[in-house]
Amino acid sequence: MRLERRLGQGWPLRRGWPWAGLVLLLLVPLVLPEGFYLDLLMFTFMYAAMSVGWDIMGGYAGYVSLGHVGFFGLGSYAAALLLVHLGLPVFITAPLVGLMASLLGAGLGFISLRTRGPAFVIVTLTFTYVAQLLMLDLKSVTGGSQGLFLPLLDLPANLVIVPFYYGMLALLVIAILVSIAIRRSKFGLGLIAIREDEGKAEASGVNTSLYKILAFAISVWFAGTAGALHAQYLNYVDPDLAFELIITLNLIIMSLFGSRGIVWGPVLGAFILYPLSAYLVFLVPSRVAGQVHLAALGIVLVLVVMFLPDGLIRSYQGWRTKRPKDARPLEARASIVETTG
Amino acid sequence: MTKDLAVHSVAKSFGGVTALAECSLEVRAGSITALIGPNGSGKTTLFNCVTGFYRPDQGEMRFGETVLTGLRPNQIVHLGIARTFQITRIFKNMTVLENMIVPVRQLGLRTLFTAGIKGHERERAEGLLEFFGIAFLRDEMAGRLSFGQQKLLELAAALMAEPTLLMLDEPAGGLNPVMIDRLTGYIRELNADGMTFLIIEHNMGFVMQLCEPVIVIHRGRVIARGTPAAVRANPAVLDAYLGD
Repeated sequence: MRLERRLGQGWPLRRGWPWAGLVLLLLVPLVLPEGFYLDLLMFTFMYAAMSVGWDIMGGYAGYVSLGHVGFFGLGSYAAALLLVHLGLPVFITAPLVGLMASLLGAGLGFISLRTRGPAFVIVTLTFTYVAQLLMLDLKSVTGGSQGLFLPLLDLPANLVIVPFYYGMLALLVIAILVSIAIRRSKFGLGLIAIREDEGKAEASGVNTSLYKILAFAISVWFAGTAGALHAQYLNYVDPDLAFELIITLNLIIMSLFGSRGIVWGPVLGAFILYPLSAYLVFLVPSRVAGQVHLAALGIVLVLVVMFLPDGLIRSYQGWRTKRPKDARPLEARASIVETTG
Repeated sequence: MTKDLAVHSVAKSFGGVTALAECSLEVRAGSITALIGPNGSGKTTLFNCVTGFYRPDQGEMRFGETVLTGLRPNQIVHLGIARTFQITRIFKNMTVLENMIVPVRQLGLRTLFTAGIKGHERERAEGLLEFFGIAFLRDEMAGRLSFGQQKLLELAAALMAEPTLLMLDEPAGGLNPVMIDRLTGYIRELNADGMTFLIIEHNMGFVMQLCEPVIVIHRGRVIARGTPAAVRANPAVLDAYLGD
């Protein structure tokens, strides 16, 4: 239990390795300015950050959102429109676009989170499609299915990725710090209480509706902000690209694979699964890469659910405590004390 | 400071089944009131109405001057009414200490994001765990505790909300005699400090030695109220328990 709890509460920050890792990642563009690796790492950061965000809602509070890509897509469009029409650079607007996503998330949560149960899942899924349809049909603003082209950044071609690399890395660092702060706070305890037993949480005085809405708003900030950066990185946004449901699925699988409800779980999941899937796409002919990728994702999901339902970190931790010093069940140890009072 | 709980002609039915029919009763501040009755007489339904889990079809409930009807469970807790459940409900995948911190009153964004377990709240939590003799388990996952320890934890956690009225749903259920004695002692001690109790219990020995007054409900109505001895001698009560 102990290791899990420490990892869950972000304890390794007191250790050197997360900081060493950060320094290493900060140095990568200087030593390894090759586009392929920077691109790979940048997308890993993006998925990791969004997955950590997803986990605040899906892991702590236990409410599965299928709508994160909706916020990602709307973030892409909002940033693109702000740039095309008002000339506001994405690196400045991205956090504000994230805030817009949060407000929208709060609104959606207000509708779907005041009750318990599956209403939320359905509403978030529907939201993705509604958002996609809107962007498709509001042709005069969004360019419809042709999408929007964003002006290029004024940088040499081999350096253009660098600001995105650091931007996504910053997003990931923020995500981890926010997740740690929440896990340690009363707010986080309340969210976990909701996941464990929502009725009991309410009977304990937790304002469950408010907590869930707030958690969802925080959770989608990362999707909205990442979407904004992503749009500028591709210099292009269209409804198919921005609202690909597979992005949400990626977030969920990464979180499950690493361990849901643990700060470092989604980070680990993203750092393993994204490079693997990129490698897979690299291996197979591009004609079928999309389909193979989808199938592989499906297989990973099935395998995780069947053989690793608790995710890597929890399973590793469980495996370690299977050979502990004191294997006696707690009850046996405690009953002596209990009867002697 | 402590307040009376007044329930006035509260009714609640589920489909065609009437669980409470014009049920009126009063829990005086400072008392240890028992609520007894045969299975299905509406005791737990009454608990659920008072604590906001059910919305009564009619009637009014007051705690002191405050009307409870229509409030949500979390608001009612903050008025000073805490409860436990018939089937013990704790957060099994949280530590004992975390279980204790969840019910701490949490208002405002500033307190919400401060560290969960610290300072005088932690001291209070540990003091209560000490009081119930389970402080040595503070860092264990609550799900690993024994049944009796889980019951004590639920009780201790309910106290973290700083209630003035504590509603216990079968606190002695499933406990061995030694534990029941301990529980009786705890309740007496808390009551001496001014805590009001409303207790549902089937263990008559426990009720008779601890509670006064005893309120009997049957088919959703109060049929008797009085001292344990008076209630025991009441023919209506015997009728209700032994069948018509």
